[in-house]
Amino acid sequence: MIATISANPTHATPPTKLGRKVRFRIKRCEGPGKPSTWNTYTVTIDQKGANVISCLQQIAANPVTVEGTRTTPVVWDSGCLEEVCGACTMVINGKVRQSCSALIDHLAPNEGDEISLEPMSKFPVIRDLSVDRQRMFHNLARLKAWVPIDGTYALGGGPKESPEAQETRYALSTCMTCGCCLEACPQFNLETDASKWDSSFVGAQAISQARLFNMHETGKELAPARLDALMGPGGVSDCGNSQNCVKVCPKHIPLTESIAAVGRAVTLHAITKFFRG
Amino acid sequence: MATKHTDFPNHFLLRRLHSLTGVVPTGIFLITHLLTNSSVAWGNLDSRAKEYGHPGVATFQHEVNFIHSIPYLLIVEVFGLWLPIAFHSILGFYYALSGKSNVSAYAYQDNWRYTLQRISGYLGILFIFYHIATLRWGWTFLIPGGTQWDHNYAASTLAMALQGGGDGMTAAGLAVSAFYFIGVSLLVFHFANGLWTAAITWGITISVPAQKRWGVMCAGLGVALMAMAWASVIGYARLDVTAARQTEQRMLDGKSKPASSADNPAQTSSALPAR
Amino acid sequence: MAAAGNQRVIVVGGGLAGLAATVRIAESGLAVDLFSVVPVKRSHSVCAQGGINACNEVARQQGYSEYEHFDETIYGGDFLADQHPVLEMANWAPKIIDLLDRMGVPFNRTSEGYRDLRLFGGSLFKRTHFAGATTGQQLIYALDEQTRRYESEGKVTKYEFWEFLWPVIEDGRAVGIVAQDMRTMQIRAFRADAVVMATGGCGLVYGKSTNSIICTGAAAARCYQAGVHYGNPEMIQVHPTAIPGADKLRLMSESARGEGGRVWVPRKKGDMRAPRDIPDAERYYFLEERYPKYGNIVPRDIATREIFSICVDDGLGVSGENQVYLDLTHRDPDYLKRKLEGILEIYEKFAGEDPYRNPMKIFPAVHYSMGGLWTTFTPGSYNPAQARHKHKSGSPAPIDAKVGQGMQLGAINNAMTNIEGLYAFGEVNFAYHGANRLGANALLSCLFDGLFCGVSVANYVRNAAPSKAPAESLPAAAYERVTQQEEAKVKNLLSTVNQGNYDEKTNAYVIHRELGVEMTTACTVVKSDARLRQCQSKLGELKGRYANVKLGDAAGWTNQSLSFARAVGDMLLVADAIALGSLERKESRGAHYRTDYKDRDDANFMKTTLASLKPETRDVSVQFVPIDASLILPEARTYGKVAADATSAAKQPVAAGV
Repeated sequence: MIATISANPTHATPPTKLGRKVRFRIKRCEGPGKPSTWNTYTVTIDQKGANVISCLQQIAANPVTVEGTRTTPVVWDSGCLEEVCGACTMVINGKVRQSCSALIDHLAPNEGDEISLEPMSKFPVIRDLSVDRQRMFHNLARLKAWVPIDGTYALGGGPKESPEAQETRYALSTCMTCGCCLEACPQFNLETDASKWDSSFVGAQAISQARLFNMHETGKELAPARLDALMGPGGVSDCGNSQNCVKVCPKHIPLTESIAAVGRAVTLHAITKFFRG
Repeated sequence: MATKHTDFPNHFLLRRLHSLTGVVPTGIFLITHLLTNSSVAWGNLDSRAKEYGHPGVATFQHEVNFIHSIPYLLIVEVFGLWLPIAFHSILGFYYALSGKSNVSAYAYQDNWRYTLQRISGYLGILFIFYHIATLRWGWTFLIPGGTQWDHNYAASTLAMALQGGGDGMTAAGLAVSAFYFIGVSLLVFHFANGLWTAAITWGITISVPAQKRWGVMCAGLGVALMAMAWASVIGYARLDVTAARQTEQRMLDGKSKPASSADNPAQTSSALPAR
Repeated sequence: MAAAGNQRVIVVGGGLAGLAATVRIAESGLAVDLFSVVPVKRSHSVCAQGGINACNEVARQQGYSEYEHFDETIYGGDFLADQHPVLEMANWAPKIIDLLDRMGVPFNRTSEGYRDLRLFGGSLFKRTHFAGATTGQQLIYALDEQTRRYESEGKVTKYEFWEFLWPVIEDGRAVGIVAQDMRTMQIRAFRADAVVMATGGCGLVYGKSTNSIICTGAAAARCYQAGVHYGNPEMIQVHPTAIPGADKLRLMSESARGEGGRVWVPRKKGDMRAPRDIPDAERYYFLEERYPKYGNIVPRDIATREIFSICVDDGLGVSGENQVYLDLTHRDPDYLKRKLEGILEIYEKFAGEDPYRNPMKIFPAVHYSMGGLWTTFTPGSYNPAQARHKHKSGSPAPIDAKVGQGMQLGAINNAMTNIEGLYAFGEVNFAYHGANRLGANALLSCLFDGLFCGVSVANYVRNAAPSKAPAESLPAAAYERVTQQEEAKVKNLLSTVNQGNYDEKTNAYVIHRELGVEMTTACTVVKSDARLRQCQSKLGELKGRYANVKLGDAAGWTNQSLSFARAVGDMLLVADAIALGSLERKESRGAHYRTDYKDRDDANFMKTTLASLKPETRDVSVQFVPIDASLILPEARTYGKVAADATSAAKQPVAAGV
């Protein structure tokens, strides 16, 4: 297990060449419905451990393009900067990921290397690199992704749980709603009309959360409701098994296992319902 | 609590029926069909079939004869085959519209298969339509050379359809053969890959190792089917129509082949059936 | 109009404290409007890694108790915290764990299926519950889910991507807020019968810290400008172990030390050998040698100062740089993976080295603000005639853990600021942690505030607020006045766009960067009179430059530069308070360490620093007000350090039985 982590070549940071100049090609958009344009900026890498965020911060302080035009500062979302909040997700060099963990030494090790930044394409652009991911939270509500407890009063502890079950649940529970799995999913499409969200594909994120709560002793109570929702339009059967979700998930959540597990659950649920009415 | 019961059975049921019809009967039929057709190649292994001349042709004819002995064949075909295939095709056509391939950005093997599954579905529909229309429904105007497939002369008429007539491979025939080659290959892929994804869809394989193991099995089945498919297409594209016809004629007449002159094409070339 | 059903509470901030408050208050039947600058699930609470403290059955049977947890927290906070609230928090802790457990938090389990525990700084008992290495994330997700549940039932309305601008205070009572939609840039007032501030810490005042980019402290600073007192601003915790980075300093959780991590440097100055080539005898495990009893799990301020001093004073930092090794390579990789995978993955990801095989390189970083908005409380029923001596670890507790002994449950002033109806929950208040916060107590204090003091908010709205003018029936003028004030500020800032070329002097980002560097140098690990005065003059310069700040973006849509520039102005005021508090507190206590006043001075400074802003001059003033120290007598806080210098050795015996 450990060996696989260190064997991953992306983890071997090349030595930083301080003082090198890196170009950032950034897709800009002033707001919803406005056309997109590209701006290119040059950033001097003057600190060890520089990442896309630290470069965007440099650009924000003095946004002048390579052509010498002064622009507005680039707008982007960020939060924890340590890949647990999910805010700073964007498309970097064509692939979706968090920008805080996008180290410049990996992406642009040499003088003059270029990095392209685009907003996620499956969510409506707010401005520049910032997008509206409300749909993901909406889908959590759609699937009742919570444990229906009897209020917050002291009523004793929760159910006992085996370490194995805890490990499975914990893995699923690290989902930070970043949207990488949805951006890379060929079945999940941009939908600006919120009234259609309930019939559009929910995607791996929400399916996996449904599995998480169906696994919990108390969360189980809502399993039939969750499975009903997942059998409807936009439910689990709209998955096309491209399995991109699991490959781009920064938290290595076993999303495809969740999809299969929910597939089994709806199969059994359908049979049960058929015979029970 | 669950209020949206109105649309649930339709959506879920259709999705699952779509998945099911890909496996049963369509997939099962594909296996038997390829098994039958490739008998032009594996029939050579059957020493008993040698008595009529070309053992592959004879075996194939034997298989075809068996199929044609099935009672109410048309009804079986319509309900057991054509309707399920049409159902699977139409729904698949519609479902595939909802996806947007992105292999250029995410060039993962699984993603390539996702994309290929849809491409093979679309081309597969086209191929199946052509295949059935020309050979089963007799839309001979779509066949270069205008061959009418005849179940009594199964191999030879099939070969003629693939070769653009009975006088050896023509350019148009080559195009038909190539179309068959691609069409059949894509359908084999579509089936093997679909079998793999169906196991996920139904929740049969859940863990990644289970999915991998089942993947190996599906790939194995795919390779075997592909071998049969290629053997069939190449077999019929290269089949000596005259020799095949002699074999079939003997079978029809219930006679074994004469000891020596089976390989003389001139002898029987005029015996090709009139269209 | 103002029927009971229309009573509303505004909660500002969607971190753990804000969400716990939201859930508790919504559950009591009041409508809650929840404001957050980010989707609440992305709040800074996600960054808390190590765990959450609470007495538990295993520890209890080994002699531990809620009372000892209370004692540890007071001792760890160097006797600066008001004691009654801390007692109540410690007593409540086990209930909170149970509740989280019911909510589905995947706490790590023993093989039999019970909740597993780990050792954490400041205790000799395993009392820290944890969920992998992302406990904060798991906790806030559980609360986020419950909030979503109430939201879908219509009990909670979320205003995400809304920035709190100012409290609306009428007749000395908070009756709403003015906020700005960060997308449409619309500014509007919201009415409420009570306002709960749960807006977290102010790490960004230090430029780079372990805090999220949203932890500007601006919301607290705005309340402070509106008249709320700020308590103990100078008490800023510097976490001993962080990964240096270009955009932020990433936390390496204390659990790395709790799970056996050893801190060391090469004994030889400038030893450039690879760490694994340095034999044990040539490694200086300075924490273990200096604090044999606690070793690597000494509290944060002590670890920080020792690491700082080994690098800065002794020049023994690894490769001559400001960094020491935090070594886990002697532990079984499978064990580490199970217990610490999350945080080790962060190290690997951001430092580019494999922590399973190479010791991590770490250095202290600004982490937590013990200080914050000043709040009140009603003491509970436990009031001994005389304060007791420090509790002997493992000995029977003098009292049981019944509710209401520390704080009176539901008393309306619990966690209320000096403005009636304006509450402060979680890191944004100054309570519980005194001069130094114990590891894994932060999550606890957030949840405790939300769940325990949330009852106070509900009681206030139900019983006290309506006797005056309910927010719904107040005239609109009060709200319009504040709205206009904020609109004018925005207009003013936007009018600076395109006034001349780029100038470092008036650039908000540059001013912020300089502020961060100055505050990190002057107001963190070591402070001195001279350096603090220098800091004050630098702050004066920065404030002068800020008065002419120029924006680079005039957009009326998602204008982040506007929000940022506005926040920089607020950060400068927080910095002022921190600097003045640091200067006036002429002693060393907890996280506050003065080279010119190295000893704790209980006679003069076992008091809360109360900072307030003169509205006319916008100058900060501080006074020292007495604390509630009626339960435990102060005692030297040594954590059994092997006496190295004469002063501390002569002054007191090693704290018995810690």
